[in-house]
Amino acid sequence: MGKSVLKYAIAAIVFILVAYKSVYFKKLDEVKAEQSAKTFDAAKYAENFWTKKLTPGLHNAVDIDTLIPMLSSNPRQAFDKYSHALGIGNLRYFLIQGKGNVKAIGEDDITLSITRLPDQKIKIATLFIFGNAVRDASGMVNINDFNNTMDFNNVSAEINKIIRVKVLPVVKQLKVGDDVTFTSAIELNKAHLNLSQIEAIPVAVQTIH
Amino acid sequence: MQATTTTKDYKQQLAKLQPLIALFVLCAIISLLSDKFLTVTNVWNVMRQISVNICISTGMTLVVLMAGIDLSVGSILALGGAITAGLLKNGVEFSSFNLYMGFTILGACLAGILVGSVLGWFNGWTITRFKVPPFVATLAMLTIARGLTMLWTKGFPITGLERNFSYLGTGWFLGIPLPVWISGVVVIAAILVTNKTKIGRYIYAIGGNENAARLSGININRVKIAVYTIAGALAAVGGLIVTSRLDAAQPNAGVGYELDSIAAVVIGGTSLSGGRGTILGTVLGAVIIGVLNNGLVLLNVSPFWQQVVKGLVILAAVIIDKANNKGE
Repeated sequence: MGKSVLKYAIAAIVFILVAYKSVYFKKLDEVKAEQSAKTFDAAKYAENFWTKKLTPGLHNAVDIDTLIPMLSSNPRQAFDKYSHALGIGNLRYFLIQGKGNVKAIGEDDITLSITRLPDQKIKIATLFIFGNAVRDASGMVNINDFNNTMDFNNVSAEINKIIRVKVLPVVKQLKVGDDVTFTSAIELNKAHLNLSQIEAIPVAVQTIH
Repeated sequence: MQATTTTKDYKQQLAKLQPLIALFVLCAIISLLSDKFLTVTNVWNVMRQISVNICISTGMTLVVLMAGIDLSVGSILALGGAITAGLLKNGVEFSSFNLYMGFTILGACLAGILVGSVLGWFNGWTITRFKVPPFVATLAMLTIARGLTMLWTKGFPITGLERNFSYLGTGWFLGIPLPVWISGVVVIAAILVTNKTKIGRYIYAIGGNENAARLSGININRVKIAVYTIAGALAAVGGLIVTSRLDAAQPNAGVGYELDSIAAVVIGGTSLSGGRGTILGTVLGAVIIGVLNNGLVLLNVSPFWQQVVKGLVILAAVIIDKANNKGE
């Protein structure tokens, strides 16, 4: 009898100790206030990034007239000098700028020929604005600044939203024959370099009158 | 007569060593083909990866020793991990009382393991109460637990967990990765249970001959429920390691883990008809599966071929096991 009481008493003490170390209680409204203060606002971050970092730094984008010949002659140097990427894979991102002429307008992109490299074509996306090209090509967003990858990826999603709202309306007004200046983000595969099918996410496009 | 007995003993000893010999041969071949295989980093990497399978397979071994099977461990792993991550991140809200119950890492882990245990208990209960074949009962649980995981996570990964939680899956203690310690503790506990306790002897007895075990006074239903409960709890422990390593609870975590686990048990020499096998054998089986997975990746073998190779290895293990026990 005494032994079994002792057993139950020890079990109860262990249970209470474990429970005490397992849970804690707070007022719900206080927790909610804390959480909303902590929640990462990807839209606000992206807006700040766009206006305070990316747009003022667009002049640092590599000139396509420089990049394409270097990619043809010395791809390794071109990738090392001008590309950005998060991981160690072969997909790398470039922020490029240049002048071109609108050659064709498709359902989901516009084809430009580069003014100084007439044989070089580049397709500016007008419909499918997805992925991390702009965020990564900028080289200005550091993954270590984020608590988790979801926040980091949401930044891309918000940047893409900004492009849809601010940039695509300008791109969609272009007509065949227009001369334009553009800044775009492109993705190239280091191992399988293909310069004949460059697809770009537009960051800034202006018609030259 | 004497010579026949000696030859039989020799064959039995050799059969016991087969998984170990297979592991050595496998390691030798892979290390010849890849200079990255026998590096310290890779060895620890393999150990980390197999620690999840060891946890699950230990529970599976107990089940298989009773001539049962548990197909739900992968789904229970996912739910255990998701419950832990969800409670750790969001706690429980009692809006009517303006009360928030938060969970510490210990509390969230215990809750995850508790949920795994309850589902395991449910497996055992349906199998013993309604005489549902273990294959069917645990197949049903596979779907139920996966559905519950989807409901709990709403189909999205639970991310942004407390930083200290990732220590469980990525941390080190005394120069050894923490998941290896966890799986080590699980294995030692299971060895003690199978070799030194009454329930361990009952498990072998039930697997060897259920009717004889019943007639000898063993409460079969109670043992079965206990074993399925342990299997569920260990699957949830695996879920904690996976969630911690990924720093996120993925709703589709653990898909196909039951197959790797059964493979480890079978390769380790546990008989699918029950009554024969050891925890250490299963550990060897899990190491073989882990080394095989790692080796095939290092050797750049296509993922599709990897599945074919793994299937063939399992088949070979069963055929060899059958050959060893011919006439028993």
